[in-house]
Amino acid sequence: MTDPAAALDARILAAIVAHALDDDAFLALARDLFAYQIAGNAPYAAFARSLGFDAARLPERLDEIPAVPAAAFKGQRLATFPPERCVLWFETSGTTQGSGGRHEFDTTTLYEAALLASFDRMMLGDGQRLRYLLLVPEPRERPHSSLGFMMDVVAERRGDGEHGWYVHEDALNVEHFLDDAYRAIAEDRPVCVATTAFALVALLDALASASYTLILPRGSRIMETGGFKGRSRIVERDELYREAAHRLGVPIPLIVAEYGMTELSSQYYDALESRSVVEPRVKRAPPWLRPLVVDERGRPLPEGIIGTIRHLDLANRGSVIAVDTEDLGAAVAGGIVLLGRDAGAELRGCSLDAETLLRRRG
Amino acid sequence: MADETLRDLPAHRIIGHIADAAARWRNADFPPRVRATAAIEERLGYSTPVIEYALDRLFFGITAQGLETAIAAELGAVAALDGPLPRAHAPAAWARGVEWAVVISSDTTVGVALVPALFALCAKARIVVKDRSDALVAGFFATLAEEHPAFSSAAIALPWEGGSDPVEDELFATADVVVGFGRDDALTAIRARCGAETRFVPFGHRASIGRLSARGVQELDAMRADVLVRDALLYDGEGCLSLHATFVTGRTGALAQVASLLAAAGERAALEFPIGRRTPERIAAIAGYRNLARYHAATRGGAMIESGTAVVVEGSLDAPPPFLPGALVVIPISGDDDVAAYVAAHRLPVQALGVDVVDPASIELAARIGAVRVCLFGTMQDPPLAGHHGGEPRIAPFVRWLDTQ
Repeated sequence: MTDPAAALDARILAAIVAHALDDDAFLALARDLFAYQIAGNAPYAAFARSLGFDAARLPERLDEIPAVPAAAFKGQRLATFPPERCVLWFETSGTTQGSGGRHEFDTTTLYEAALLASFDRMMLGDGQRLRYLLLVPEPRERPHSSLGFMMDVVAERRGDGEHGWYVHEDALNVEHFLDDAYRAIAEDRPVCVATTAFALVALLDALASASYTLILPRGSRIMETGGFKGRSRIVERDELYREAAHRLGVPIPLIVAEYGMTELSSQYYDALESRSVVEPRVKRAPPWLRPLVVDERGRPLPEGIIGTIRHLDLANRGSVIAVDTEDLGAAVAGGIVLLGRDAGAELRGCSLDAETLLRRRG
Repeated sequence: MADETLRDLPAHRIIGHIADAAARWRNADFPPRVRATAAIEERLGYSTPVIEYALDRLFFGITAQGLETAIAAELGAVAALDGPLPRAHAPAAWARGVEWAVVISSDTTVGVALVPALFALCAKARIVVKDRSDALVAGFFATLAEEHPAFSSAAIALPWEGGSDPVEDELFATADVVVGFGRDDALTAIRARCGAETRFVPFGHRASIGRLSARGVQELDAMRADVLVRDALLYDGEGCLSLHATFVTGRTGALAQVASLLAAAGERAALEFPIGRRTPERIAAIAGYRNLARYHAATRGGAMIESGTAVVVEGSLDAPPPFLPGALVVIPISGDDDVAAYVAAHRLPVQALGVDVVDPASIELAARIGAVRVCLFGTMQDPPLAGHHGGEPRIAPFVRWLDTQ
């Protein structure tokens, strides 16, 4: 008898390799995946039942597939397999709701295949073998960081064998970065600086304070990800990219934002055709990942209307296919546009708020 | 009269002028109020009925009797503001108002800065209020100046950018008293810029909670649920006096009954006080909270009732209140110890404790949790003028005692 997980993995993997999946094929695979997940993932099944779906009544449309809030990963295991089969887990960040949670995997095959397929297309379209300068958590220090895992896989499989990690215990080792950057420049070896937005700000601040300006080798690029939540300094993306282009000598079209989350197994990247400007850029999903922009009742919104983003990720085979977020965006042709927080929005009341309470609690 | 300053006026006359100005603002058709209402609506996004309610509460509360009661309670007599008053077994004393006071309110709902400003004026201090874009304070000060010209130079409302504006630097350096409403970082920054002898009266962001006794649960009906829900939903739950979580004494069955009544009341409240404008971020946060509550209800059990614009959610002692508009959180407890433990665990700074009956047990609970007010449900958003907002005196910060021997 065929293992249903293996059979699904094979179908999803085929879509990843082919980098193609039309609407009907996506829906068919999504329905089968949903049926598999509610058979093995008790909390997801209970949630689906509360919305009127079970094995006898599967969703007919993508927007009917029950979407679990990302925060549900905290405090409750959401997996289709028993704990002893977990081979890898990523820790979701703590939020205003409290402590973090886990996204578990019983195989790394789909995750690795999905991340490499997207990275190849969206970051390595020219087929360059780059040197990776990594301003993200190092897996040896943070084994449960999805970003660290992802970049470790990329650097090992697509790098030139000499990558470096520069964030240790949340501190950026600028000197080490500069040593390696200057060596790459001396060797005329193009690099990929993979960085969180916050680490990039720290690097640029350090370069500016020392009046350093680098010209990284031609073909170098920057992959930036993440926001500034919980950080003391927030920089607008436009300012960040212009300063990065100036200080590192990387043209703005080669500074690319990746958008992902621990609760997913696939990533979005800036669409190639939208990279000539900093904002707005269209985030493009690979064929096995579909975004839906929904209103506060979970109803899909037409293009151009702002709502929250729901992800349907077929590579999430071992957890839940559909994840609801509080990220704001709008559907546009070819993808989604993310909207940042309005930093100028006036606070209205004297009530305590969740973020202040968290700060007070330390 | 034209040359008179506030110092020249007896306190009872100042109080009378303030009360008369407030009386004019009670009329919803008073042109300055009409303008302010529209401007507040534009600034805060609340619906018109909510703003009208808030302005009614504000101006109907400002009465000569209320001001005199508050002043007499703190200073012994209103006349203490005019000169030395004999005191039994103590030197005669004059509660002489300070020269300058400043009120800064960076995140407040409607008219919060006005009340301390009025008490400062009663003390004959000159007052500068950092006004909001709605110019409510400026509008009221203009009415005061119509009542008596002395107010035109004594009561000033100015809009300016917060943080490093030179206006602020000068004011903080010279003011005798600075009253600040705002977040922790804003208050810390203001305090740091005050002079060494400046009195700083901070009002930080706080939360309010409610506790339904076992008897209160039994007696809860539609009418009582309406007033409780109003405490929670008014001003989108964004005030420090908004009911952010309700503790329900009794068994699970009791909680389900309470949740059901509150959900129905939420429907009715939405008709009386329609929701106004919310930012996309706020809408997303509310939707996220609803989704998560729905998920938890399905996977863990517990009450979760969606009612139009509100959602009643069975909360847990492990989670702090969500501080989101329309979220009515009910938390089952076996007794007041659970409430005290919750407040301690989440380090919740409590402003008001709403209860179904003010009795020794509820007063004891309020004291244990550091609340500064215990009051009946339905009155949480309606603090009396003679009360102690934030646990602070109303007029005492604006006077320096001058003893005569």
